[in-house]
Amino acid sequence: MKHTLYKFARNRKTTAVAMTFLALIALIAIIAPFIVPYDPQRVHPADRLHPPDVTHWFGTDHFGRDVFSRVLLGARLSLLTGLSVAAISVLLGVFAGSISAYFIKIGFVLMRIIDALMAFPEIILALALMAITGRAGLGNVIIALGVVYAPRMARTAYGLSLRIKEFTYIEAARALGAGHARILIRHLVPNLIAPVVVQGTFTCALAILGAAALDFLGVGVPPYVPSWGSMVNEGRLYITRAPWIMIFPGLFIVLLVLALNILGDTLRDALDPRLRKLL
Amino acid sequence: MVTFLIRRLAAMVPTLLLVLTISFFLIHLIPGDPAAVMLGPHATGEQVEALRHAMGLDQPVFVQFLKYINDVFHGDLGQSIFFHKPVSQVLLQRAETSVLLALCSMVVVLLIGIPTGILAAIRAGTWLDQFFLTVAILGASIPTFWLGLLLMLAFAVKLQLLPSSGFPSIFETGNITNLRYLILPSITLGFANSALLARMTRSNLLEILKEDYINAARAKGLAERVVILKHALRNAAIPVVTVMSFTFAGLLSGTVVTENVFALSGIGRLVVESVLRRDYPTIQGIMVVVSFLYLAINLITDIAYGILDPRIKYA
Repeated sequence: MKHTLYKFARNRKTTAVAMTFLALIALIAIIAPFIVPYDPQRVHPADRLHPPDVTHWFGTDHFGRDVFSRVLLGARLSLLTGLSVAAISVLLGVFAGSISAYFIKIGFVLMRIIDALMAFPEIILALALMAITGRAGLGNVIIALGVVYAPRMARTAYGLSLRIKEFTYIEAARALGAGHARILIRHLVPNLIAPVVVQGTFTCALAILGAAALDFLGVGVPPYVPSWGSMVNEGRLYITRAPWIMIFPGLFIVLLVLALNILGDTLRDALDPRLRKLL
Repeated sequence: MVTFLIRRLAAMVPTLLLVLTISFFLIHLIPGDPAAVMLGPHATGEQVEALRHAMGLDQPVFVQFLKYINDVFHGDLGQSIFFHKPVSQVLLQRAETSVLLALCSMVVVLLIGIPTGILAAIRAGTWLDQFFLTVAILGASIPTFWLGLLLMLAFAVKLQLLPSSGFPSIFETGNITNLRYLILPSITLGFANSALLARMTRSNLLEILKEDYINAARAKGLAERVVILKHALRNAAIPVVTVMSFTFAGLLSGTVVTENVFALSGIGRLVVESVLRRDYPTIQGIMVVVSFLYLAINLITDIAYGILDPRIKYA
């Protein structure tokens, strides 16, 4: 898959741009604390609502905090949330999906539970879960979004597994006397990985949007943490006087999610056509 | 058709029960005593005890569960802790805004999704197709709250063409022009959800335009407009109907954020307020109502298949 990815990246300029941007954001996420021009928490009333210029590239907010520095630090939070939720969904989804497809009786029960979980609109389920945990915090956001997106991933993995199960090489493995565990671990799951990773890219994008929405609604991470969603929320009060407070963090959400969606599309195109239809 | 309906309804029963089970256990997953959590740190022991008793939390879980199921099927969603009123009443008061917002947004989705889908399919491979594709990916990547704020900034603050927030009830004032308060919210919500419909319309139409009967229709000299609108589009409609049910679910979810951006006091805003107020019975009630609605939409979609395609037999 690495090779195909390289080929596609070269062939499609948009993908190349998207991947460069993702690499840049990842780098920013790692080194942000060392490169920010100002302390993102530093309150400086004299500089409040300062429009973007050379000293403050993205302007300052209502506390006089540097928006650029806060946006850079926000990258870390967004990426961490997106990747964690995607990882949780992939792990749980592959486990539940493959087991359900392989052992039909377990599958019948598990899939009913998943159907029920999917009957709740994403954001409402996430909000309800945040209400139970009772505390705003990154860990709880990741758990809530994981519970929301894992069933969706499990559905995909289930559909794929049902199809892969019918392929001849599974039959061949069974004919050679392979046990259930061996077939599942050595033959079924490895073939799930590529399509699930594609879906995981989209999940990562959705999770970043979901976390931003929770932060915007004031139930995500605590307000002092510089997250893009809560920055937009704080900026909305100053929408007439200082629109830059909400414009820049929002723009970064769009760019990051857009880059992930483009990457997902490219990966999907590189996928085995027999499985592509199921995504 | 009748047997199909009965079977389809029967298949919904386990899902419905599971939805209720999940909503029921929501309150039991709260760490500590739910009654104490809901009343906050200043409540006295007697108050907590009284609420525990009123909510039936002092009974065995199984008894509580049966009572809960029974209540829900009788339309009783419990008492709101904050409003001191039945949850069903609170929801009814807020329903107008949310229902109107969802319907107006659906209109926006249809107005954007279907024409762009058709155009992209007819002009497949051209710059127009590419342009729509780009806009669609962009639409899926913009957070609704941010788009809403940008539209508000442009059309309400700068151009002052439309109201920026709030929605005076049409039901109470009898003033239908209040719908203008829903224009920006509907565009916000509709735009974000129209990409899927556009993409689906495009790909289905492209498939169908390759069919022999389309060639036949063209060969007998029908105008391209008639071929597309009458022969192709109707056959492309089935998968599109599926997407519309998805879209409606997306709109249900999207109202939460949109109502908060535009200060509309609908059910979506109520959820967030209830989470912040720890009004668990209200959250529970909303979860139940919204998921029932979602399952009902799925059912209607299945029935709509049959009406659109007489070849589907409900055996």
